[in-house]
Order: sequence, then structure tokens, then C-alpha cells
Amino acid sequence: MLKVEGLSKRFGGLVAVDDLSFEVPRKTVLGLIGINGSGKSTVMNCISGLYRSDSGRVTLGGKDITRKTSHDIARHGLGRTFQVPRLFHRMTLVENLLTTVLDSRRKNAELVEQAEAILDSVELHGLRHDHGEELSGGQQKLLELARVMMFDPDMILLDEPFAGVNPSLCRLLIERIQALLGEGKTFLLISHDLTSIYRLSDHIVVLNQGRKIAEGGVEDIKNDPQVIEAYLGTEAYDG
Amino acid sequence: MSGFLILNGLVNGIIVGVLYSLIGCSLNVLYGVLRVVNFAHGEFLIVGCFFGYVLFETFGIHPLISVPLAAVVFFAVGYGLSYLLMPRLSKADDPETSSFLMMYGVSLMLGAGMLMIFEADTRTLDFRFEPISVKIGVLYVPTARLVALAVNLLVVGLLTWFLYFTLYGKALRAAIMNREAIQVVGVNIHRLSAVAFGIAAGLAGITGVMISLVFPAFDPFAGPDYTLIGFIVIVIGGLGHPIGAIVGGVIFGLTEQMATVFLPQAMAPIVGFSVMILVIFLRPRGLFGKVQQR
Amino acid sequence: MAISAASEERVAAIRNGMWYGLLLALTVWFALIPAFGGNLPFFFYLMLWVTMASAFNIISGFTGYMPFGYVAFYGIGAFTTAILTKKLGVPVYFSLPIAGLAGVALSLLFAKTLKLNGIYFAITSLALAIIVRLVITNMPEEITGGSFGISLGSRAEPVKSFYVMLGTMLAALLTVTWLARSRLGMALKAIRDDSEAAEAMGINVPRARLKAWMMSAFFPSMCGGIEAWYTNVVDTGTAFDVLITAKTIIYAMAGGLGTVTGPVLGAVIMVWLDDLFWQRFPLLNLFLLGTAIVLLIQFMPRGIVGSLMQRWPKLRRYIM
Repeated sequence: MLKVEGLSKRFGGLVAVDDLSFEVPRKTVLGLIGINGSGKSTVMNCISGLYRSDSGRVTLGGKDITRKTSHDIARHGLGRTFQVPRLFHRMTLVENLLTTVLDSRRKNAELVEQAEAILDSVELHGLRHDHGEELSGGQQKLLELARVMMFDPDMILLDEPFAGVNPSLCRLLIERIQALLGEGKTFLLISHDLTSIYRLSDHIVVLNQGRKIAEGGVEDIKNDPQVIEAYLGTEAYDG
Repeated sequence: MSGFLILNGLVNGIIVGVLYSLIGCSLNVLYGVLRVVNFAHGEFLIVGCFFGYVLFETFGIHPLISVPLAAVVFFAVGYGLSYLLMPRLSKADDPETSSFLMMYGVSLMLGAGMLMIFEADTRTLDFRFEPISVKIGVLYVPTARLVALAVNLLVVGLLTWFLYFTLYGKALRAAIMNREAIQVVGVNIHRLSAVAFGIAAGLAGITGVMISLVFPAFDPFAGPDYTLIGFIVIVIGGLGHPIGAIVGGVIFGLTEQMATVFLPQAMAPIVGFSVMILVIFLRPRGLFGKVQQR
Repeated sequence: MAISAASEERVAAIRNGMWYGLLLALTVWFALIPAFGGNLPFFFYLMLWVTMASAFNIISGFTGYMPFGYVAFYGIGAFTTAILTKKLGVPVYFSLPIAGLAGVALSLLFAKTLKLNGIYFAITSLALAIIVRLVITNMPEEITGGSFGISLGSRAEPVKSFYVMLGTMLAALLTVTWLARSRLGMALKAIRDDSEAAEAMGINVPRARLKAWMMSAFFPSMCGGIEAWYTNVVDTGTAFDVLITAKTIIYAMAGGLGTVTGPVLGAVIMVWLDDLFWQRFPLLNLFLLGTAIVLLIQFMPRGIVGSLMQRWPKLRRYIM
């Protein structure tokens, strides 16, 4: 579904992503892990067109999206969330969802109804007329997921979906993601919360200083000495 | 075109350019630390002109003595203004644009205030240096302009020394680079902001006194012209970058003075603005800034 | 959810009813002013500022830009109308729409500036407005009248221009009303709140903001043209007065950017205050305008309507 080949991105003298390649097969979840500053978010921003990569190729469903603008890539069926939620803070929750379907030929009333149903499914229906800025941190994460659900892309990029979310909202998020998987969506998931990533992912790529240091199934990664050294060794400091 | 005129344009370009550098430095210290673009800077300068003017006319105080006095008084006012204006502003939806607009309000207030106190007359600082001009090569340059150049260079030097070689200056530069990080390190950002506002105002006071030496006249309406010059300078040099402002000021001063040599008087401002717009589109973050667009 | 949909419809009906009712009442009131010998200049300028503030709202309140050179559109409209009517003898009813289109053309010329971020956009816009003024001032006197400007001669028709102003104001208000509920309006608000996120949600950001920019340019150019017709004279000093930008921004902000009713309310209150006592003291007027800006930004950055909505979120559903 999503294929990244030889992706590189540098900021001035700093190489943030270095010759990275991986593939996310259709209807699977790829977990991208690594300590802070290992280049995870940069990878996501390059794929979604927010940053322009220096070299490499990104294809989505066989189509080259490397040099496309962010909204073109979105139109090709790629939706995403952000590490720090980026809501439309002076729009209502319903409007936040509707922004993703502005080109749709469907009737407004029908879209509003769908938006309300989605908000209901993430337990935000009661707040549907509130503005984005009035939500708590965890609710913002939920609204971002709801926005992606409304957008309904085939490929979904989730950047730290569980950061700062309390356990009960976290369960709700995981439930929604699993439901989307059931509908045949494909995921690229970034997180440093290993429990949830091990639970959701089919396949894992480990990044360190912009390079891929390991790749494999959940069990392989759990037992990979290099990963434990580079990643889990420092995880202890994060508590 | 005679070489004499060109040479004259070059010398004046440097004299005026260094003055513009000071305008730009003040704006950039303020923008760098507080993210405030000072729309009222021109009025600050004219208040500085009047400061030197009133001290000289009523007490006979030498303009060069007015310079440190202006620096101290303006610093104190700026320091106070920061505590008065900034706390609520930083909570705005878009602090940068809000502050820009608010300083426009301050500019209207100061402009109208000066008109009420001093009326619309054009003033001239009636002070003569002995000798009145100095011969450099083939050129006669007014002593007042040379003195102003010397003072301005001294101030630029002092500012550079302060920013790069003192602890407080380094903290200021750190705040320009990363406002969040510096708070983590335990620096009191509110006091630092107030100091930055004070320095920006103090520089404005000094520049104001210098303007009355370099240019033949000033009046309460002249503020916006200087503000615009300041904007051009900082956009050329890069917003928030003090050294960029110095370079931008000299570039703009030279461009403007050379333009008056080659073009009709009325067209000269267009050249300045065109240089600015060219820079914005070729290097959106100025000569010394990083590129970022939406 | 069926119940919620029904109550939703009722809320919308109340909201629309109140707003269109108000519009209708205002129209009837204003339309009767010339017949009953009301204060024509006061209401003419009231309508002009309502139009300016509402059109400014499109690019600023909805889209998040702060064009400090907004007066450029007004000035270009005034000069286009004056040149077409006086020098080329075009009937004024044709010159006015052409003036509006001249503003749109100017906005297209400046379209590249929309790429710039907040403060850069504001400064560039200001510089461009000054360049436009300088260019017009330095054009041959036969065309723009040089520093003396152009007098439209005996073509002043206060009552006719009053009604054209009324029509233009209604057009601007209906445009903003439509925009607030349209998909384009939603795209614009998303761009205002976070243009990168908007782009990631598949919104064609450059196209949407260009549309807003063009709409926002049309009405001030019309205003400039109608005012030239009304006062019979145009010169660069008044047609490109920076205060026109300032007043537009302040009036719109005072009421509340991003709401339909805000700029209308802001303009009405401020023009009324202006007429009541500020106009008698021109210097104090400027000083108070400056003070108003500072106080607004400090204490009511979202304006009257915006602050009310922030305080009582439920109002959002009832007020446009």
C-alpha cells in the first residue's frame, strides 16, 4: 500500500532521516519506533508532504506521491494525525470533521449526520457544538482520529496517538483503530509507548538517528539485542 | 553622471545607512525576544528628536549629552511599557499580528499626542558644530553627520559587545533563538522581555537625537516614514536578527542615497520598497534568516 | 439523533430569521432616509464602513490574514472610477463594476504574497499599498491629475450614489452570510486556524485563500469608486490614506472578526461614536482611535460579538 524507498531528509547539517526504506502492505499496521529525535515524525511529515524530502521515493497504492503537495497526497487517500494535535480550534467539532469532505458531492445534511455518528463513536457527541479549543488533551487526540475517520482514507498515519491520553480514552482509541482495521484500512503508527504499539502492529521498524536499525515481527523486535541496547536502554530514563 | 555625485551618494549612503541600522537593530531586538513588530518605532524616534530639541532649546544641553540621557529615560519607559502591555498580549490567538496592530494604536496615540503638544510645525535642531563641515578628499561633509556616524558606530559596537560578550546579552540572544528553552533553564523571561523592550526603546531615543543631527528637519508627521524604513531594513536583514539589521540598514541606506543620484526624487522610495519585495520573494526570511513559508 | 436534527433545524431557523429580519429592517430604514430628509452623509459613510469592515472580514476574520495595505483596493477603485467617468466619459454605472474588477485584478497581481506568513504578509501588503500610491502619484497628470487629483465635475449625484452604496452593502453582507455557511467558508476557517493541517485534510489551500482574497478586494474597490462619485473628487492623499485601513481593521475587530454580525455592529457603534463627539476634535479623534486599538487588543481581542460567544458558547448557534 505505502512504499518508502531511500528516503532522506536533512535540516542544515543535521541528517534527520538517512536512506530509509520500508513497506506497509495493505490492511496491516506498521509500527515505527525509536527514541525521541530518532526521526520518526520527520518520516511522517515527508510522507504526508509537509516536508519536502531531499531524496528517495514514496508511493501510495502504486502511485508516486513524492513531489506532490500535501493536499494532493491527502486526495490520493492518505490521512494523518499530528504529534501535538492540530485541530481547527475556532471551529465546532462537527465543522472540524466536515473540513475533510468539502469536495464531496453528498448533501450537507447527510455529511452532518455522518459526522455526528462518528463523534458519537468516539464519545464526543455531547460536545459537538463546542469549539476545538475547549477540548482536553485526550479529547483532542480523539477528535483528530474522528477527523481522519470522516476523511475516510485508505492509508492512515498516526503520530503518537496515545501520548498524554488517560487509560480509558486510550482503550477507546485502540478500539476505534481496531474497528478501522476491520474495515480494511492500512496504518503507519508512530509511538514510543511500546505496549500499545506491540499490541496493534503486525510489523515493526526501529529507527535510531534517522537510520533503520532493525525490522521484523513483534516477537523478533522484542528480543533483538540491538533494539534493547539502542532503544530500551534509554527507555528506562523516560520512566 | 559625475563621479563626484556618486562619491557623495556613497558617503551619505553610509552615514544614513548606519542610522538605519540602529532603527533596524531596535526593531529586531524587540521582535526577536518579544515577537512584537514595533509599528510605533517611527513615533518613538520623533519623540527622541523632540527630547533632544527641548533639552537644547530650554536648557541649552549639548545634543551629545542628550544621547545618554535619552538612552536612560527611554530605557526606563520601555521597561515599564513591557510590563504594562505584554502580559495580556501573549495570550492572544495570534500574538504577532495582535502586537503589530496594537503598536499601530500606540503609533496613532503618540503621533496625535505630539501634534497636540508641539503642533504641526517643522522643527530644526539649531545647533552648530565647529567647524560646520569637514573636507574629506573632494567632499565637504557636515560635521554633525560625521559626529552622528561616530556615535552610531559606537552604539552599534556597544550593542554587539553586549549581545555577544555579556551574560545578559547571551541570554537575550538565546531567547531570540528559542523562547521556550530559555524558560526551562530558569531565566526570568518577563524580566528579560522588559530589558529587551527597554533596550529597543533606548536605541530609539538615541536614534531620535541622531536623526535631528543627520537630517535637516523633523515634524510629528514623520514617524510612519521612519517606521517603514525600519520595516524594509529588518525584512532585508531578516526579522529578529540584530546583525542582519545592521547589514540591512547599510544596504538600504546606500540603495536609497544612490537612487536619489540616478532617479527623480519622487521615485526613490519605490526603489527601496522594490528591494524589500525582491528580498521577500527571493529569500523570504531575509539575508540572515531561515526560510519558512505557509 | 432524529430529535437532535429537528431541534437543529429550529435553531437554524431562529438564527436565519433574526439575521435576515435585521437586514430587511435596515434596508427599509436606509432606503427611506433620502425621502425623509435624514442625515445623508452620516448614513452614506455608515454603509461604506459596514461594507469595508465586512469585506475585510473575509480575508482577515475567515482566512487569518492581516492586510495592512487594504486601502490599496479602495484607492484603485476610486481612481478607476474617476478616470473612466471623467476622462473617458464612461457612464458611472459601468465604471463602478469595472472599478470593483480593477480591485480584483490588483488582488491577483498581489496573489503571490498570500504565501507569506503573518507578519511578513502584513508588512509586504503595507509596502505594496504605498508603491501603488507612489506609482499613481507619479503618473502623468493628464491621467491621474497628479497631486491635485481628479474632480468629477458636475457628476455628483448624492442620492443615486447613496442607493448604489446601499446595494453594495447588501451585496457584501449577503456574500459574507453565504460564505459563513458555505463549504468555502469552512475551508477558509480551517486555513485560518491551521493552514498546514487544513492542507493535510485535503483542502486546496492556495485556491481557497485566493478566492477569499479576490472577494475581499472587490468590495473596497467598489466603495472607493462610490465615494469618489459621492464626494465628486479623488486625490491620492485621501484615496490612499492609511487611516482607511486602520478604521476598517478597528471597526471589524471591535465587533468581532470571523463572525458575520461582528463587523456590522463594530462599524455601526464606531461610526456613531465618531459622529457623536470625536469628529469635533480631529486630533483627539486620532488619539482616541489609537487608544481604542490598544484597549481592544488588550481587553477584547475577539471583539464584542466574539467575546460574547466565548463567554456563552450557546450563542454561537443563534448569532451569525
